[in-house]
Amino acid sequence: MEKSKTLLEKYQIPINHLDFAYVDKCQNAREMEKIVMILRSGEEGYFPDLTRCAEEKLKQLKPDSKLFRIEEQIRSSNVLDKQELKPIYDWTNDIKNKDSALNELKEESAELATDLPPVRKPCKIEIDKEESETQNAGQVPKPNAKPQLKSTNEERIKSTDYSKWDKYDPDEEILRMDLEEERSKEQAKIKLRKTETTTTKEEHIKCEKGAEEQRLQAQLKKLSQIEREQYAEKYRLRGNEYFKAKEYDNAIEEYTLAIVYDPAQAARAYNNRAVSYLKKKNYLAAIDDCEACLRLEPDNVKALLRLADANYGQGRRRESYGFYQRVLALEPNNISAKSAGRIASTVWRLAPAHATRMIIEELQSEKAAADNKPKTQAQPKPQPKQVQSEKPPKDYDLAELVKPNRVIKSKIACAAEALGGTLKTRNPVASAQKQQLQQMMQEVSTAQAELRLPQSNKSGNNNNKLLIQEIQ
Amino acid sequence: MDKPQLIEHLHESVNYTVYDTKWIPLSAKFVVLGCKPNSHGIMDIYELNEQKLEKVKTVEKKAAFKCGTFGASSLRNRHMAIGDFEGRLQVLDLEHPELAVYNVKAHTGIINCIDAIGGTQLECGAPEIVTGSRDGAIKVWDIRQGQAPVVDISPPSQMGDGINRSNLRRDCWAVAFGNTYNEEERIIAAGYDNGDLKLFDLRAMAVRWEATIKNGICGLEFDRRDIPMNKLAVTTLEGGLLVYDMRTQHPTKGFSCVEERNAGRSVGSNGVISGPKATVWTVRHVPQNRDIFLTGGGTGSIRLWQYEYPDRRVIEDADGNKEGVAGKLQMISAVTLSSQPVHSYDWHPDKLGLAVAGAFDQSVRVLITTKLNTL
Repeated sequence: MEKSKTLLEKYQIPINHLDFAYVDKCQNAREMEKIVMILRSGEEGYFPDLTRCAEEKLKQLKPDSKLFRIEEQIRSSNVLDKQELKPIYDWTNDIKNKDSALNELKEESAELATDLPPVRKPCKIEIDKEESETQNAGQVPKPNAKPQLKSTNEERIKSTDYSKWDKYDPDEEILRMDLEEERSKEQAKIKLRKTETTTTKEEHIKCEKGAEEQRLQAQLKKLSQIEREQYAEKYRLRGNEYFKAKEYDNAIEEYTLAIVYDPAQAARAYNNRAVSYLKKKNYLAAIDDCEACLRLEPDNVKALLRLADANYGQGRRRESYGFYQRVLALEPNNISAKSAGRIASTVWRLAPAHATRMIIEELQSEKAAADNKPKTQAQPKPQPKQVQSEKPPKDYDLAELVKPNRVIKSKIACAAEALGGTLKTRNPVASAQKQQLQQMMQEVSTAQAELRLPQSNKSGNNNNKLLIQEIQ
Repeated sequence: MDKPQLIEHLHESVNYTVYDTKWIPLSAKFVVLGCKPNSHGIMDIYELNEQKLEKVKTVEKKAAFKCGTFGASSLRNRHMAIGDFEGRLQVLDLEHPELAVYNVKAHTGIINCIDAIGGTQLECGAPEIVTGSRDGAIKVWDIRQGQAPVVDISPPSQMGDGINRSNLRRDCWAVAFGNTYNEEERIIAAGYDNGDLKLFDLRAMAVRWEATIKNGICGLEFDRRDIPMNKLAVTTLEGGLLVYDMRTQHPTKGFSCVEERNAGRSVGSNGVISGPKATVWTVRHVPQNRDIFLTGGGTGSIRLWQYEYPDRRVIEDADGNKEGVAGKLQMISAVTLSSQPVHSYDWHPDKLGLAVAGAFDQSVRVLITTKLNTL
């Protein structure tokens, strides 16, 4: 009886936790797993509803719990639709054609074999030798432990040998152990570096790739269409894998090879390379690839969408909008085109966001000259300028100007709004405007400090005076 | 159901023990290697038709066949390299299998495992075949070379007393090529019956790394052979499944890995996987998606796994050394295929989701996995 604990005891869960109310409010996934295991075991009785309830709760708390790993009996293919099996039948017929075509090519194979890389020079790797080497070098924990064992065996001091214990210096021993560890680490590092330096040699080989490219072209000519398709597909899939792993540079390389091998059917490779370029924010290259893809498949919706995205990224909004429209013409229900197209179109009709931003920059750098510059596009901007030029003559404003920056900033914004009335508070620009105003105010106050010092003195208190002097 | 589903398309019972199943590249045919009750080797070639399998050819030879591969053959001449129970390696032209293209007595014991590379990969070095055997040796073969291996990785010869050292020779259970991304680089990963995992660098001709896992290694495979090492999946007795991140090698800690101890666990009550542990015999990555792989287990189950990369694959430790970070494993799907271990499995290289599996219940199955492209 005693020998086997029940799960309840093993997990130390009180019996009253096996309850709907507790299960409902429990937030601990680990505990929930235990409760489910207890309930499933049936040791405490059979409660189908509670078990189901607990399982549902666990699903909420920890959807990937191992308790949900189930295995079913395999089902036969007649559960599948005819629709799902059809691609496989089609593929079977297709591959049989390729197969027989390949068999016809077989005769030539003897000649082809000549340009294989040379045979490796025969050699041996001896496992045993390597092991003895690692013992000296101390590589993995295992060898690390060995020398230590040895030394302790030799120098082991008997517990009764007091004279020796007197001589024993623990600090020294610790130091020695540390040094040993360090040395082994260094040696491991050197070993690793050795392998690394040899890999740099391959970089040199890579440099000679230009010459190799010609060889590749020569090799391409030897391959039959089937083989080229096959290789191109392989490279494209490898590109996809790199893309998934977010290694876009490698992906682009693989797609390029896929295109080289089978330019006639490279629509998908072009399309995928375009996305990779998009991810790299290389919009011009992406546009090129999309266009190449569209030349092969004029109605490729994905390519059109990407082309639109790339154009948008490059700042060609009008073109981008056009492409979104074309997508919608092909696929009226394409959601991403709809939303993106709407954004593109609205942005186009309003004053372009980035145009105003550019003006802000101008103002910052050369505020005086900028006064004349602002064009009709940036209507909201000139207003503060006018406010600024109006203000100085007014005495009452100046007193405020001399106050610390923080206060002034808000006041001026309010004043500008009151005066101009047209100053729209547009969200994306608002913060920039604030900063802008703040800076302008500083400029203005310095400029005015020279002119109106007496007045400001009159109205301002000591603090203000100080401020003005600082600015000067 | 948006999840991928494993479905049995066709089932063929045979009258011999199946040891390996392999698709012939760019065709609808596959090869079944096995051992007849009279211990003769048998090779059947089946062709996939819409609703049935058709046996195209049968070849019988004296020694039982253990394993085979098409890795070193080009698309034009699809020759199969086969290892048998007597340690012989032969390369057969499937059109004329009577006379081997290449035939060598490779090992003194049974050839447990075989892998090959360089046939279809361009600019990736010479086509080579690697064999691992019960005699403890791993040998690399180039069929242009003649009767000697190009690389011989043998344990020390048993000289001396031979009494205490008799069990020194480990049984090599699994080999795999990897890291073959240019003409020089090439790495062999090997797993032994005592759990030793070794990585041999064929460029430097040295042991690159070794580790010991708790249980004997039954299967291992790089996620891709022809790219710089990315991941290595290892399966063991007692249900272990380890996936190493092979991008970064730490000077002392080596490669980091994620371990799934219950990958081979059998089914308990209500289909929940909670039973006793069982061997994971084989691991095979999907040729079209390197982050998905399938394991075949001793309980006759096959399980589909997905590897998720961590946010950062490399971190620096306190000493400034780079250390790899392993990701996470997720089980996508699991089905019971047979009452006996499923020990051989081969995805079709050209068709996503199509596969052939061999089990010890003397049968071969063609499987379809749906919705793999959604992952």
